[in-house]
Amino acid sequence: MSNELTSTALEDQLDQQSDVVDEIGADLVEQAYDALDGNPADDKKKKHPKWEAWKTNFRRHGWILLFIIPAFVYVLIFCYAPMYGILVAFQDYMPGDSIIGSDTTWVGFQNFKTFFSNPNFWDYFLNTFLLCIFGFLVGFPLPIIVALLLNSLRSKKVKKGLQILYYAPHFISLVVMVGMLKLIFGSDGLLDQLSRQMGGDAGGLKLFLTPEAFRPLFIFSGNWQDFGWSAIVYLAALSGVDPALHEAAKMDGASRFRRIFSVDLPAILPTIVMLMILSVGNLMSCGYEKVLLMQTAGNLETSEILSTYVYKFGLMNGQYGVGTAAGLFNSVINVVLLVIANFTSKKLTNNSMW
Amino acid sequence: MKKIIIGVTATVLWVVCVTLFVVFAMGGGTNTEHQFTVLTVKEDAVKDYNSMPVFRELAQETGIDVNWIYNTSAQYSNNTDPVGTKGIDAIYHTGFSNLKLYDYGRRGRIVAIDEYMDSMPNFSRILTARPDIAEALKSPDGHIYSLPRVEEMGLKAYPNILYINKKWIEKLIDDGNLPAGVNLTKDQLTDGLDLYRWEFKAILQKFRDLDMDNNGNKDNEVPLTFVSGNWQGNESDLIASFGVPENREHKTILNGKITFTIEDEKWFKAITEMHDWCASGLISSASFDQDESQFLAHGQDGRYGAFYWWEKDTVLAKEYRDDYVIVLPLKDDDGNRYVGVSNEQEVEKGECVILSSCEDKEGLLSYFDKFFEPDYSAQLNYGSIKSGAFLPNKENGKLIPNDDHGAQSADDFRMRNAPYGVVYLTQETWDNSVQMESRAQLRLDNLNSYVKPYVFEGVATIPNLNYTQQELLELNTHEFSLSNNIASWYTQAVIGNTAPTRESWQNLLSVNRDSINAVLRINQAAYDRYIEATV
Repeated sequence: MSNELTSTALEDQLDQQSDVVDEIGADLVEQAYDALDGNPADDKKKKHPKWEAWKTNFRRHGWILLFIIPAFVYVLIFCYAPMYGILVAFQDYMPGDSIIGSDTTWVGFQNFKTFFSNPNFWDYFLNTFLLCIFGFLVGFPLPIIVALLLNSLRSKKVKKGLQILYYAPHFISLVVMVGMLKLIFGSDGLLDQLSRQMGGDAGGLKLFLTPEAFRPLFIFSGNWQDFGWSAIVYLAALSGVDPALHEAAKMDGASRFRRIFSVDLPAILPTIVMLMILSVGNLMSCGYEKVLLMQTAGNLETSEILSTYVYKFGLMNGQYGVGTAAGLFNSVINVVLLVIANFTSKKLTNNSMW
Repeated sequence: MKKIIIGVTATVLWVVCVTLFVVFAMGGGTNTEHQFTVLTVKEDAVKDYNSMPVFRELAQETGIDVNWIYNTSAQYSNNTDPVGTKGIDAIYHTGFSNLKLYDYGRRGRIVAIDEYMDSMPNFSRILTARPDIAEALKSPDGHIYSLPRVEEMGLKAYPNILYINKKWIEKLIDDGNLPAGVNLTKDQLTDGLDLYRWEFKAILQKFRDLDMDNNGNKDNEVPLTFVSGNWQGNESDLIASFGVPENREHKTILNGKITFTIEDEKWFKAITEMHDWCASGLISSASFDQDESQFLAHGQDGRYGAFYWWEKDTVLAKEYRDDYVIVLPLKDDDGNRYVGVSNEQEVEKGECVILSSCEDKEGLLSYFDKFFEPDYSAQLNYGSIKSGAFLPNKENGKLIPNDDHGAQSADDFRMRNAPYGVVYLTQETWDNSVQMESRAQLRLDNLNSYVKPYVFEGVATIPNLNYTQQELLELNTHEFSLSNNIASWYTQAVIGNTAPTRESWQNLLSVNRDSINAVLRINQAAYDRYIEATV
């Protein structure tokens, strides 16, 4: 089954497994290397056993670090280096001004005040939260269920076929996707015309102009596109389940369904928890591109979210400071959520990122 | 080994190509032969400014050589810092807002033009003669940071004319299908058709129900359409017919006071009625999500029963143009007619800015000052004499527009040959130096006879107002959320599945009370200052 898995999914899984190994083995490493060096631990060394272990480890396997240099450089250049830009949130800034320099106008928390005093602030906040939380509630369990079901299929052929069918929509580009949605659900779209043909009211069915329809449309189209793709990670985790466990469960008379709950699910629980922590950390940032593309005057009531506000008010309107302040606020919420999720899962399941 | 050699060669070639591309792409922009380089926003279809006769003439007369370089509007809108473009002296067609002009101005990145008035005799004469223009151009610090575009034809305040399909009404008369109570004869079907709103509605219902264009399909007719919220051809006048001076910003001057139309009881009544028209299919729902080009494309084959637009010729293909007649503003049940005015400005502020990095500001400004002379203004606005926009010889000292452009339509010709931008065309120009285009004259005549007489008493366009920095920032925040909220409520109220309730309307007003009050207060204060400065 692992043949069909992509290398990225496998890498993810390996990473997680090695994390676990790291933790369990942290104490053992030191002893192991001491034993290998034929150097019994004395009192002097006990003072910095970890450091010594690291040193030995580095001496032996340091060259492996070379492999993470590209990733490290990438993150440094594209994620950390631009971060000084958040200073703009505290400035009266225009493109062309230097961010740190003699001509920088510092305004303290003025931009945040402007942002929070926006009469619609709470609406935007609530819209963002609801859109993302509903998206999470639907979008998080779905791939797990799909992966468990696929994994339980007997016929490999059917499984393969379904899997391809499920993740194919992932490759449709965003703009094309929204175009399709408009053709089907928009005014004069397929559904609109059908409803009029079938004798619906003359005004027709205009889902793109109805605020209540925005969230379902956004969430279900997004999940339809991505549930198959997200299931790959879980399928990879499931492939690591020891067949012996299934054999044993079978011997004990466990049904197919029972085995899903008692064997498969516990096996992928660490993966689930890890991915949950990560997605909680991204909870407040659902992509603004798709929201913008789907936005119409009719659905503004539910479709104006923080990130579209940043785009429209900050970038289009030239209020870069306020836009950055809004973005920073969003990120802070994400970090807080991430820390809470991590802490909770550490307490409850003993799985955590740090 | 062979593979490695091929791989290495391919990589090297790739790198060389990229390098060459980058070098050429970056090197292309610089040109040292010219005195000045000006960045302008221009679509590909518009002719090269550098070879346009009007700019050649200007270069000859002033001895100043300007090199024009271009951004398409798509490129320009993605350019977060056009003022930072290397090697340019000025930007033409900037489209900068008041706030942006001031932000650049107070940073000293664009030139305060009022400090160079000595090199600009034409411009300073205009500012002296027209204190309203001078006032409109000022930034919060009292400086003028941009050159304006002034095109006063008295058209922009009235951007909607209602046209109706005369042929379809004739068919109704012939077939005996005229709605009950509507007594129309074929003789009456000329420009200036006089209808009550209820009569108009009854006719639209017939347009909806019957196969008006005889193609066997009852459903392809569009009874009434417009482009909601567009600057021309929007639904404002339909709402205004209920007795409220509506425009697309829902904000107007009424007896010297800046007023929001949405607060008016009659506005709510109008919206309720609009909802009814939409729900029963009299107004196409496309009216609310189509843009100008879609509206124009759909209308060409004469399937619109009635529509709002400035002139019918752009909406309809040639063979359908005679089928439509102008309807006077609709009468309400008491026989009164009402029309609001738009807030479109005839003085546009951010047309051209000079960068502080320009080495000879006086020189470049004296060049742009020529743009304000009537002959140049006219050629910039309509196309040059040499390209055939005007007849070669003046009559009574007036430039006469040439209406014959061969196979090209007048719109096409102008789009390709006229750079637009900084011009000064006012009543004085039309009286003395340039004859108005026949199309504009026709539009003006139509407006004069069918629209202007019915404009609300005491209603006026809000002029270009001048704000303090604090006011600008406050306005920016409030206007953003307010216009969002109004647009969203309005669209739902009109095309939603349920009719708008009085509570939801009251709720809209109370939720946005702070914003409404703030915007009114700031606008009113600025308007009072404007009146003081110009009267």
